[in-house]
Amino acid sequence: MAQAGKGKLNYRCPSCFMRDLDMDMFYDKDKDEYYCIRCQYRGNEADVLEKNEMARFRYGAMAKRYTKFDFD
Amino acid sequence: MDKFIVNIIHRPEMVPEYAEKVTGHGKEEDIGRKALLTESLDIFKFQQETAHKYGLKTTIQMTYASLFNDEAVELAKKDHETYGDEISLSLLGLPCKEFREKYKTKDFCIWMFSMEDKKSIVDDVFEKFYERFGFYPESTGSYYMDADLTNYIKEKYPSVKCEIATCWEEGPKAYHTCNNSWYTFMDGGPWAPWIPSKQNTHAPAANEAEDSGVVAIPHLSRDLLACYDGNGSNFGTHPQNVLRGMIYDTKTWEFPYLYNLIDQYRDLEKYNNGYAYNMMFVGPGWLNKMGRWEQPYELLKKSYEDGMAYYGKLKKEGKLTDMTMAEFADYYRQKKTYTEPECALWRDILYGSDKQLFWYCDPFMRVCVNMDQGGAIVDLRPYTAKLEWPVGIGTKHVTDASYPFLIQEKYRAGYFTHYAGEGTVRSAKLKYNQEEVDLCLCRTKAHFSKEGDTRILTLDPVDIEFQDLTLKLQTVISFKEGSSEIKIQRKIFEMSNPDAEVELNEYMVACYGTTEYSEDMLGITLSCKKGNEEEKLPYEYKCRELEMSGAEQVIATVPQIETKVSMRSDAVNAVGYVKEGYAFSPMFTLGYTARVKDKEVIGTWLKLEKAN
Repeated sequence: MAQAGKGKLNYRCPSCFMRDLDMDMFYDKDKDEYYCIRCQYRGNEADVLEKNEMARFRYGAMAKRYTKFDFD
Repeated sequence: MDKFIVNIIHRPEMVPEYAEKVTGHGKEEDIGRKALLTESLDIFKFQQETAHKYGLKTTIQMTYASLFNDEAVELAKKDHETYGDEISLSLLGLPCKEFREKYKTKDFCIWMFSMEDKKSIVDDVFEKFYERFGFYPESTGSYYMDADLTNYIKEKYPSVKCEIATCWEEGPKAYHTCNNSWYTFMDGGPWAPWIPSKQNTHAPAANEAEDSGVVAIPHLSRDLLACYDGNGSNFGTHPQNVLRGMIYDTKTWEFPYLYNLIDQYRDLEKYNNGYAYNMMFVGPGWLNKMGRWEQPYELLKKSYEDGMAYYGKLKKEGKLTDMTMAEFADYYRQKKTYTEPECALWRDILYGSDKQLFWYCDPFMRVCVNMDQGGAIVDLRPYTAKLEWPVGIGTKHVTDASYPFLIQEKYRAGYFTHYAGEGTVRSAKLKYNQEEVDLCLCRTKAHFSKEGDTRILTLDPVDIEFQDLTLKLQTVISFKEGSSEIKIQRKIFEMSNPDAEVELNEYMVACYGTTEYSEDMLGITLSCKKGNEEEKLPYEYKCRELEMSGAEQVIATVPQIETKVSMRSDAVNAVGYVKEGYAFSPMFTLGYTARVKDKEVIGTWLKLEKAN
């Protein structure tokens, strides 16, 4: 099995991202999967993208445009 | 007249941070690669063209590496002549062949070098700049500029009047986010421009004698709520930082958060005599052709264009004034007095929580009040100590440039602790019969006003429910300019039993430090004072307490950070107390208890002084 490398995009580990940790993942071409060298996450590109969407749950107002910044 | 000022800064960084590490993965390191140099310059050109396209002038911060590149020098000269851009000098972007050959190190953060090397590097960079342009720059900067460095630059190159001097709340949080490999520890500074003191960059100068001679601007304008809790590098006026935080719609590539952030900064003019400020400074590594993390180059490019377009739109509408750094320094000197505070009543614009904070900064303190915790003070930095804190190789703080705290709710628990002990916070408890309620559990909102030289935060009243009594209480927090004091008033509006008496316990749990980990508390002295009578408690982790009826002051002296913090009360029946902590709870507590009835008002003051 050859060494891992970087994929076409430099995906971060979604599991670590959810704990405020930016960990670049490495790509295992034999298994067609990304994996984290810090935690135990591994998954293919579709799974990474799905988990990245999940990570956005905390941004409850991400799509909202505010026009008022104080409270009455 | 209301004014929203923006500084847009670009740097031709010939070896962009990240680019060599990321795009060069799998290759042997070569910071002189031609492809890398060409791409770097292309990014700089794109940034400049985008700003100009939207009618915005920039400050071009030449890096040391770019001073060896004829094309970069010519581009700067041309844009200066055509658009009025300022040609400035950055102390970022040091790495290049010439630098590595001379200094034989891979260090690149100017504040981390030894003082001897700092001077040598500054001389090299400034003289090279002079050689290329025929004048010395009026502005400079890095991610952090320590006081000794600034003092040296100002003495040797007096033309410098503005510098990028800190990244707001970039400290242990950024370190953790970067897998404990990013050593920029600089928590505890101002979030908006200030005049640094000669003693400590974070602490604003209180007068001309303390004035370092420069106006400092923060690196980016950061979200005053999100950055305090999370990774600072996701929540600032840096479009690619917002993408880093994944704060965008993956289908539409839209990111309203950036505009909310800019607009909330614009709104801060209400609290600062009609003035507000923004800074955008995107290093070229963030516009890498290879993309950046999950974002392809096209999205990175779009985000930069959209950010500039928004500033350009505001300018067209007459809502924004673009300035160079040097122009801004002149404006700021004219606009601000030394003791005028910077204030920010800030709401959550990302998570949808409606949480609200109030930030206050003057030459004597930086304070954060949390309305979601009943107006508790959750961060406190005693700037009045003007702590001399040399950083860099050969000092006690090689990388830790943070200004120490007395209170920091994220690093030292705040109200909530596990199992035992206490966390740092300044709040109050109400006690009736055997029940106790802490105001930290009373969520409310605040309103800002100014009366003469006093900034006032008036909180919406909260209800306290005991089993046999309910009461309505209001908190008013006042900051009198130049006083180095915070006054907190509690007003009892109504009680279900008008004859009842409750005990009000005004308290402050504190310690000192710059990180999450506890420091040695030995050497701290706690005391209660009334006239000539003074009782003292030297800190020995023995969990002891002292109290004094009618105490005029309760005091903690923290020699490690040359700070004396005290409280006093105007309650006629007040009992002052101090509490020592223990090993599992390395804190100290200052406080007052008093009996309070319906319609009464009790004031308590927290004062900060330098302890010699």
